[in-house]
Amino acid sequence: MSESSVTKPEPVRRKLSAGPLSRGDKWFFRTTSIAANFAFVLVAFILVFLIIQALPALSSQGFSFIYGTEWNNTKDPIVMQIGPMLWGSLLIGAVGVVIATPLAISLAYLIVFMLSTRLAKVATTLVDLLAALPSVIIGLWGLFVFSPVASEWAMLLNQYLGWFPLFQVGTADNGFVGSPFIAGWIVAIMIVPIITSITREVFSQLDRDLINGALALGGSRFSTFRRVIFPTSAGAVVGAVLLGLGRALGETVAIFYVLQLTFDINWGQILEPKGGAVASMILAKFGEATAEEVSGLTAAGLVLFVLTLGINFLASIIVNRAQPWRKI
Amino acid sequence: MSFAPRPAVQPWSRVNTARRVQIFLASSLPLAVTALIVLFGGLNPNVALLGVFLPLQLLAAGYVGFASFGRRGVGDASLIVLVLFFATFVLVLLASVVFSLISQGAQAVSWSFISQNNIYVSNTTSLEYGGVGHAIVGTLLIVGLTTIVTVPLGIAMAIYLTQSQSKTRGLVRTLTQAISGLPSVVAGLFILSMAMTLGWERSGLLGSMALLPLMLPTVARVAEEALRLVPVDLRYAALALGAPNYRAFFQVILPAAKSGLVTSILLGIARIIGETAPLLLTVPINNGTSWNPFSGNIMTLPAYIYGYLSSLFEPSQNRAWGAALVLMTVVAILFSAARFLSRSKSLKTKPTKQKASK
Repeated sequence: MSESSVTKPEPVRRKLSAGPLSRGDKWFFRTTSIAANFAFVLVAFILVFLIIQALPALSSQGFSFIYGTEWNNTKDPIVMQIGPMLWGSLLIGAVGVVIATPLAISLAYLIVFMLSTRLAKVATTLVDLLAALPSVIIGLWGLFVFSPVASEWAMLLNQYLGWFPLFQVGTADNGFVGSPFIAGWIVAIMIVPIITSITREVFSQLDRDLINGALALGGSRFSTFRRVIFPTSAGAVVGAVLLGLGRALGETVAIFYVLQLTFDINWGQILEPKGGAVASMILAKFGEATAEEVSGLTAAGLVLFVLTLGINFLASIIVNRAQPWRKI
Repeated sequence: MSFAPRPAVQPWSRVNTARRVQIFLASSLPLAVTALIVLFGGLNPNVALLGVFLPLQLLAAGYVGFASFGRRGVGDASLIVLVLFFATFVLVLLASVVFSLISQGAQAVSWSFISQNNIYVSNTTSLEYGGVGHAIVGTLLIVGLTTIVTVPLGIAMAIYLTQSQSKTRGLVRTLTQAISGLPSVVAGLFILSMAMTLGWERSGLLGSMALLPLMLPTVARVAEEALRLVPVDLRYAALALGAPNYRAFFQVILPAAKSGLVTSILLGIARIIGETAPLLLTVPINNGTSWNPFSGNIMTLPAYIYGYLSSLFEPSQNRAWGAALVLMTVVAILFSAARFLSRSKSLKTKPTKQKASK
């Protein structure tokens, strides 16, 4: 044994060269990686420039900027606080998600498990078309067509389910227009396509053998959905709903037309015509804003950016983890 | 232990005539009953839909399900009824948007509306004068500028995500997906802050810069999907023949993924062409036609709609609807072109895709 080890020549350590060899390749990969790193640069730039412009307002208002409930540009020093708007955004997002989730899951189930291939394609196109509607068009439709209908729904909700705290209203005669309820519906219409497309993809990538196995064991459509389809895709659905929530928080123009912005915090009476949304407030106040107010609005934008980026980042991680087939 | 006698159920047997009649009745009777109650009972249609139709339909479907398949049929029937109800609801909402756009917008749209600009037009000027010509020009210029910059960037990102072996690909993909949820008003504020910090004037150029972060994720994601559809064997074959990576990409992968990449461009444009908030913050509006996006005032379609939308005068509201119809038509054209391209692509790659997954 020792003899053989002596006689055998030491294997030559060769350098493996599998990387890009040619100069053209080096440039190819360098260019693309610069482009890819632009994503980091972009986020950094957004943060830096928003912070530069928001700093005067943030330093003069302090932490009460986030939870305070007053915006008054006639006072000296000026008071700028976005508490009701921030809470309003979350409230509208919550209403939107509650409405959109069952709609989106139903649509995804219909497309993947019930329709024929041809009809499923048509339905997918329609959902994508809904996603392609610009928000200003949804706002136009929401103001002139949807608001009157939805205010009637709100009135009926208040009439029949008014004992429930959520559906109570403080003022007697308000017409039920401009409430977080209607804004929530508008937001729901805009996030249904997002949740649907992710849920649909997850449903269609489920292991068919698993579903067929459940059916062969005597499972019905319903029990297969509850015991097989839903548990395996729940993670991705949660991620999709979070992505939808992020989109709902950032929705600007569509809400602007159907919501009455007030700096009086509305804790949860969703039929009351007072609400808030950070993004819409920025748009509403921007027209006649003083230089100080522009700084305050930028600070509001910064808060919105950090909030939505956090939610979206979390959602993207969840969605990517729940879709292992998307990994390279 | 004793077994209860099993009922003679044959779930696999075909649905017979009696069942067909039951199914037909179950799917038509609830609607008919609800319609009768609404017409003659004077019940509010909204209440009837949720309070009468849905329970009745669930009950009827549940009964047929029970009669056909026993207890397990009830769950199935309710699932189907709920899914169809919700899906129809979304469809009705979409149809309502499209219908109101066409019916309201058609009153305003004419050749002069598309070609003229809005100089000497007030809130009450009749619809024969003035139009969206200047806004169309402005939108095309601003969106065109964004497209020229974003498309190479987005496609290069997609190449990075599919062709390179870098370790940061997952992070880049997650970050890109997170940017896709960037609120549009924040994109506008970002460019506005940048302009204020660096002392730039508000102009069309700022608007197209503000649209870039909104378009980039769409282009990158769709282009990535398109590049991923090209069988990896093709690339390996090119590399094995001695081609460097960039030639493998430009001569093998790019031709195969061409239509998918065009789709990514079209969907990216469709994504940003209706963006309103960033343009309102960064682009000064204009009633005349401007061909210069780099300085001065310039009008865009979304800003036009926004401006006339909240007006109380009817001609102005009609203008908003007309402009919305023009905008929606552009989006629809872009969108159907993208659909058409991606359909022909998926047909071509289907056999190879199946082979690759085997």
